[in-house]
Amino acid sequence: MASAPAPIPGYLTTSLENSSSQNDPHGTPAKSTLLCTAIRSDKDLIYMCPFNGALKGKVFITNYRLYFKSSEAEVTVMLDVPLGAISRIEKMGGASSRGENSYGLDITCKPLFSYLSQEKFEENGWGVYKPMDEYRRQGLPNERWRISFINSNYDLCDTYPTILVVPFQTTDEDLRRVAAFRSRCRIPVLSWIHREKQAVIMRCSQPLVGMSGKRNKDDERYLDVIREANNTPKLTIFDARPNVNAVANKATGGGYEGEDAYQNAELVFLDIHNIHVMRESLKKLKDIVYPNVEESHWLSSLESTHWLEHIKLVLSGAIQVADKVCSGNSVVVHCSDGWDRTAQLTSLAMLMLDSYYRSLRGFQVLIEKEWIGFGHKFASRIGHGDKNHADQDRSPIFLQFIDCVWQMTKQFPTAFEFNEHFLITVLDHLYSCRFGTFLYNCESVRENLKVRLKTVSLWSLINSEVSTYVNPFYTHESSRVLYPVASMRHLELWVNYYIRWNPRIRHQQSPVEQRYKELLALRDQYLKKLEELQLSDSSPSSTHLTNSSTPNAASPNQHLTHLQTPF
Amino acid sequence: MFFSTGEIVVNEANFVRKCFGADSSQDDLWGKLICTNFKVSFVTHDPLPQQRFQCVHRLLGEHDVPLACVEQVVTVNDAKGKQKVLGSNKKLKFNPTELILYCKDFRIVRFRFDEAGPESAKKVCLAIAHYSHPADSQLLFGFEYVGQKVNGVDSGKKVQTAMFDCSSDWDREIKRTGASEWRVCAINEEYLVSPSLPEFFVVSSSLADQDLKQFACYFKAQRLPLWCWNHPNGSALVRMSSITEPQQQRKLDQRICSAIIKSHPMRSNILKTDLDKCLPSIQEIQSALVKLRQICVIAFLKHAVEVIYMLEGKQSSVILQEEEDRDLSCVIASLVQLMCDPHCRSLAGFQGLVQKEWVMAGHRFLDRCNHLKKNDKEESPLFLLFLNCVWQIMEQYPAAFEFTEMYLTVLSDSMWVPVFSTFLFNCPRQRAEHSRDFAVSKSISLGQDKVLKFPPVWDWSQQYSLKDQLLFNNPLYVGKSAPCVHNGTVRTFTHKRSKKNYSSTLRGLPSDLKNGGLALLDTLPRRNSLMPRLRADITQMNEKQDSPAECFLQDMLSRPADLQGLLLPQLLPSHLPLWKLYFLRWVPEARIPNGGPITAFHKLSVLVDEIEILQDQLRQYTGGATPVRSPSSPQDEHSKMYFRAGLSQNDSPAPEYLSSSFPFSPMGNLCRRSILGTPLSKFLNGARIWLSTETLTNESL
Repeated sequence: MASAPAPIPGYLTTSLENSSSQNDPHGTPAKSTLLCTAIRSDKDLIYMCPFNGALKGKVFITNYRLYFKSSEAEVTVMLDVPLGAISRIEKMGGASSRGENSYGLDITCKPLFSYLSQEKFEENGWGVYKPMDEYRRQGLPNERWRISFINSNYDLCDTYPTILVVPFQTTDEDLRRVAAFRSRCRIPVLSWIHREKQAVIMRCSQPLVGMSGKRNKDDERYLDVIREANNTPKLTIFDARPNVNAVANKATGGGYEGEDAYQNAELVFLDIHNIHVMRESLKKLKDIVYPNVEESHWLSSLESTHWLEHIKLVLSGAIQVADKVCSGNSVVVHCSDGWDRTAQLTSLAMLMLDSYYRSLRGFQVLIEKEWIGFGHKFASRIGHGDKNHADQDRSPIFLQFIDCVWQMTKQFPTAFEFNEHFLITVLDHLYSCRFGTFLYNCESVRENLKVRLKTVSLWSLINSEVSTYVNPFYTHESSRVLYPVASMRHLELWVNYYIRWNPRIRHQQSPVEQRYKELLALRDQYLKKLEELQLSDSSPSSTHLTNSSTPNAASPNQHLTHLQTPF
Repeated sequence: MFFSTGEIVVNEANFVRKCFGADSSQDDLWGKLICTNFKVSFVTHDPLPQQRFQCVHRLLGEHDVPLACVEQVVTVNDAKGKQKVLGSNKKLKFNPTELILYCKDFRIVRFRFDEAGPESAKKVCLAIAHYSHPADSQLLFGFEYVGQKVNGVDSGKKVQTAMFDCSSDWDREIKRTGASEWRVCAINEEYLVSPSLPEFFVVSSSLADQDLKQFACYFKAQRLPLWCWNHPNGSALVRMSSITEPQQQRKLDQRICSAIIKSHPMRSNILKTDLDKCLPSIQEIQSALVKLRQICVIAFLKHAVEVIYMLEGKQSSVILQEEEDRDLSCVIASLVQLMCDPHCRSLAGFQGLVQKEWVMAGHRFLDRCNHLKKNDKEESPLFLLFLNCVWQIMEQYPAAFEFTEMYLTVLSDSMWVPVFSTFLFNCPRQRAEHSRDFAVSKSISLGQDKVLKFPPVWDWSQQYSLKDQLLFNNPLYVGKSAPCVHNGTVRTFTHKRSKKNYSSTLRGLPSDLKNGGLALLDTLPRRNSLMPRLRADITQMNEKQDSPAECFLQDMLSRPADLQGLLLPQLLPSHLPLWKLYFLRWVPEARIPNGGPITAFHKLSVLVDEIEILQDQLRQYTGGATPVRSPSSPQDEHSKMYFRAGLSQNDSPAPEYLSSSFPFSPMGNLCRRSILGTPLSKFLNGARIWLSTETLTNESL
């Protein structure tokens, strides 16, 4: 919260490299390229620090960030907020109000600058995801599934990617007729295939059943073809929504697959609430952890936010999807439009089923494919880069997904190649706009605006400093399916993310991880030492047996003697 | 099937079914239900499904429950719709079809008698109910066990833990903490002065035995003030019961305080904290445990931090005062030392701490565990609360402790194995008397010691093999001489005690004492005041001041942690999670197969083992005498790690039996639903998955 005694006057151009380097939460290797235009206040403003009280200082605003430096000597508080991370600015009070601190701006941070920044990294992250490579990795196309280029100009569906995988025997003409019956033409397409059992995860939007209970022979036939592809008696359709919401959607032309129409399918509702419920839930969560942690009724306050309950529903929905596929049944997953809850469910299920997605690069592919490629509306959900964005469209759906991933990493500390710091970095740049990765709502827009050419990918940053984001405990197990336990007792609030700005909290990267890294370094050092000794041993003059009694054997390694009782 | 020394079969029933789930019976096990004078045993020839590993307990089989662990015995006849909770000598008017045992370690075990003879079913239920309610403490199994052992061969094994039952242990502690102004006092030999104090304890050097004898009668149960520990700066931690004679209060307070002040190198002030006023009562602690609430954990950790602020920040000696000085002060005194003194974070140091502040100080383990099930109001899980607090600090500083959470869990379970001197008695004198009486009544000839030798729980070989005991060792531990890599070179941590030498000429009474009164904690903030609620209210912002103890905590937390120094815990409720291993280990639905922190522990353990092997090999070159270890040689007793490095230097995959419940197994315990045999989706659809643990809270506080 910043409160200014007067409207911000004056313009000035300045470079912020030096002043910002100490406390920049987005420490960048290429900061010097961040050339900015800045606006500075002449007079001191007062920053109402939620932790330390009022502080005087100067405010700088650049086209990337808002920056505040305290001018009081004894407190060194700096505020450095990328503009993309500001979710709301409100004017407080008015010129007529009297008294101190009566007029100012209330800035609430959320976590388009990426265009101007052309940072250079060793690797170009835009090359991480190539759809054809990914489908080939899954063993596609094969005799039952084909690659369709029907959407190469985005004229089947403008929010889908260009490359789609569909049943072999379904023609492009069939697909067009199915598209007519699916909300926003988001037809069922393949996301993942189980190599041995050939069971698939299909994703789509709701059918346009409407009040009158419309049916569409092509859609019904299409789903049956999907079922027949691996000869299972029933196809399971997971509707992410609560039953009542699915019914209510009929009023606006949507709905769900009725039993009569889809006789070889079973429909399961997963009871996950919509984007508005999730937004309100996170808001409540923010209220109990910021600026101070609600202490007296912590557990009941936490429970009343329902945040963990929503996490539980998303996770257990994904477990059910994964469990079905693992037992050989193909599934179709949708919600209303198939870009929020559907993305959560398919990507989490894929994370459980396919160990590739648990690697650092595989996870990037997963996000590129299921979220960015299939049109999760990042721009609308986060609300940047759009003058007319409606608050109603914002929702922390992607954050919720990352939270679910974090819960899984907690339950399986050795199963993921990336660490907590990586997940937090992804979320920070979801809001920072420093990278083009999470800009815009869908691929067609991105292509139109040449995002890949004009901005840098987040994965460029990540893959250029891999060691920071790697979990040292990672053990690669290729065929392992992970089932997290989606019980409230095992789900935890992600305090290192939600409560990290509180100065009462000691910031430490996982001490267990740190210690493990130390021990790994120690082992390597011993190995090297031993190798050296063995080398010198093999020289003709000495063998280690004779060596052991000679005085010179003890001298070079004396420091090792007090390592005898280390653990 | 095995029985321990002194164990007798009381009753048994055949063709009993042990239930695995409430929904289906397909996974149930058939076998014999046996009640002995020690445990409820279930003997089956069928192996447990999916279970290839369990830490093998030397006294208990995998289906056994010690009688002391049984909280409630419930019999059911589902045909008649009847249900009865059985106590000792109760009558049962129906033939039970089902027996449910609710255990103190949160297990729920269910047996069905569909195929068993109705009479034998009834008899075994009554026997279990009767024997789990022993009429007096000499009927507790430990007496039989130890009595038989005396006649047999005494193991004669010495435990490496300071027991504090002799003056030399106290002398060593005085030396170790540099408490030169304190001395061992032996006036309570033969328990002549106080019934609940140990024979030896430590007092201020300026108090003469004669004075102490005189003072004793004014204290509750003649419990004179006990020295616990000295801070490196010379401040002492003292515990004390209340003074019963109001007329003597002032005079006594003054005498005691001036003696403690004289024992402080800087003659610093004394601060007294009344634990009964600052902390939840033992009843509140009991009810909080049942609801799995963390509220007490926070209160105790918070108070310990406040005491440390007095000792360290204000350099004052602190008196912990409690009515009886046998409950709350045990928790606070041991937490303070655990946070301040790295010695207490080693395995031997921790065991000594429990011996000193709990066993010898006379914590009523017999009553608080309610072994005799006589008075439920006396039952309170203070020791478990303490272990929970220890776990919280351990969770925040995982490399600072020599032991693991498995050690803490096994230690808490040992409370329900009524064999150990540690948890069987209310005080040292009771132990001495009871064991003498028992020996006399059974005409057991005692040796020179004139007491039955109950093993302390610290004699872990009574319960676990040496191999299983390796699970107690924390591979992360950074002890005094653990190597670390610093700027590319191997160094060892060395601990410097910041002991200062204060001039003994510093004299003069502190101002607080001139009025004859104590500094009665005006500076100590009351409950809940440590972390003032700071709302972003602009007008209040500047006025709100943090308490000094709070500032002290924040200051400590803002620095990098020194694992060999003072470790203060983060106290925000959001940062004090549930102790999952302890509370969820028996719940089948909460078990994460191949998951949980143990999978990381496994990798750490293997790595540390590898480092140990390398060290041995290097030592070979430097002329050391230790034999070279080859990886995974089976007879090797040298390693301190449970999981060993494989022959290949590459990643060894985690064993299949690892799960979040390891080394315990929830299989065979009753829960609402079974994960086995029912579709996963069905179990996930159930909103309430098990008993009371599903919702985060049902608290009103």
